[in-house]
Amino acid sequence: MYLVADIDVSICAEKSCKLCTQYCPEANTIQYSEEMGKSKGFKYGSAYVAVDRCKGCAQCVWVCDNMAKNNAIKMIMIDQLPLAAVTDNIRYDEKSTVAVLSNPMIVIGN
Amino acid sequence: MSLDYVKFSGGFEKFMPKEYRDMVEHGPFGKKISVSQMGSFKEILEEHPMCAGCAMTLFIRLAIIAFPNPEDTITVGTAGCGRLAISQAAIPFVYGNYGDQNGVASGLSRGLRLRFGDKPKDVVVIAGDGGTADIGFQQVLHSWFRKERFTTIMLDNEVYGNTGGQESGMTNRGAVLKMAPLGKKFEKMDMLQMAKVAGCAYVATVVPNNPRRVESVIKKAVLIAREVGSTYIQAYTSCNIEYAIPTDKVMEDAKNVENDRYQFTEYVSEEAKQYLAERYGYKEFLPKPAAPAAAIPNKA
Repeated sequence: MYLVADIDVSICAEKSCKLCTQYCPEANTIQYSEEMGKSKGFKYGSAYVAVDRCKGCAQCVWVCDNMAKNNAIKMIMIDQLPLAAVTDNIRYDEKSTVAVLSNPMIVIGN
Repeated sequence: MSLDYVKFSGGFEKFMPKEYRDMVEHGPFGKKISVSQMGSFKEILEEHPMCAGCAMTLFIRLAIIAFPNPEDTITVGTAGCGRLAISQAAIPFVYGNYGDQNGVASGLSRGLRLRFGDKPKDVVVIAGDGGTADIGFQQVLHSWFRKERFTTIMLDNEVYGNTGGQESGMTNRGAVLKMAPLGKKFEKMDMLQMAKVAGCAYVATVVPNNPRRVESVIKKAVLIAREVGSTYIQAYTSCNIEYAIPTDKVMEDAKNVENDRYQFTEYVSEEAKQYLAERYGYKEFLPKPAAPAAAIPNKA
């Protein structure tokens, strides 16, 4: 098993600084969704991780803790993530994306 | 080399992989995209085999987003880590022999000008410190002295990272590396000064610590290279493997190095300032309003 980044939507959707989307070295790995925050009653959208692209470097954790000071990102073993986004389940909209969350292990195993 | 190549061939749409469909439908081609929109559009850069947490990859990602017209851009590279990511992008990439990237780019930009005339086609050289300052040094300097109109970007990781950690011309004095155990005995090459002496119209140093600044620097360099002359960007992109930086501390290191010896510097020639102000409306380069007022008493 390996570590991937996991973003706490309840913290992220309150701040929505989008710094992690700009500091991730991998393309289209930390994505942004308006729906993910607003469907839970928050004012803003939230960032989320496409786990099949995450290499586990934890740069986003440093950026979230030290630059944004939000402490919303943690590194978690991929088999302990309850739900995650993978590239195949992400749809692009006008100004954000829509991700269908599913069990990361089932999708990757297929 | 136009928006025509960023579309489906007739009847093949349903067979294309998701990444390709996303690129055609939600990619940045033909749109104005900025770093603040990252994470909400399909990027030109795809998955790549670079090490986890590599600052060079982050810089390449930001640079490709910053290209003013990605559909009219060709990148030229050479041996080194950077080409592993640059070649995974949906824009044409020319892989030169080691060190001849600026020679290839010279011919390419001249050929594109013959073929397409005034229609802007951008050539951007992205090479490492070894390719730019050591092995390709001769061709880099000559292309600058000839005022070839393309952008040269140096990914300065201060080491030959791809071959196990030999010292390069851009390594700092005293640095001890796996393949340079006695420590480097000479100073780091001052490529910025050489670029200015050779007549580059735009010279800048940048650290990927500040995405918006990277974006603005790349945009200016590519636009100036369309008409005015050679442009040069030197970017600090640490090698977290050879310098043993933990991946979650890469940005901390970038911040420290930026404060220490890689401060943001920018040199813009007078001609380039005028060009940016008149053609692209850069307000910071517009002539100061005080200047004409001062000229009147002289005439009298």
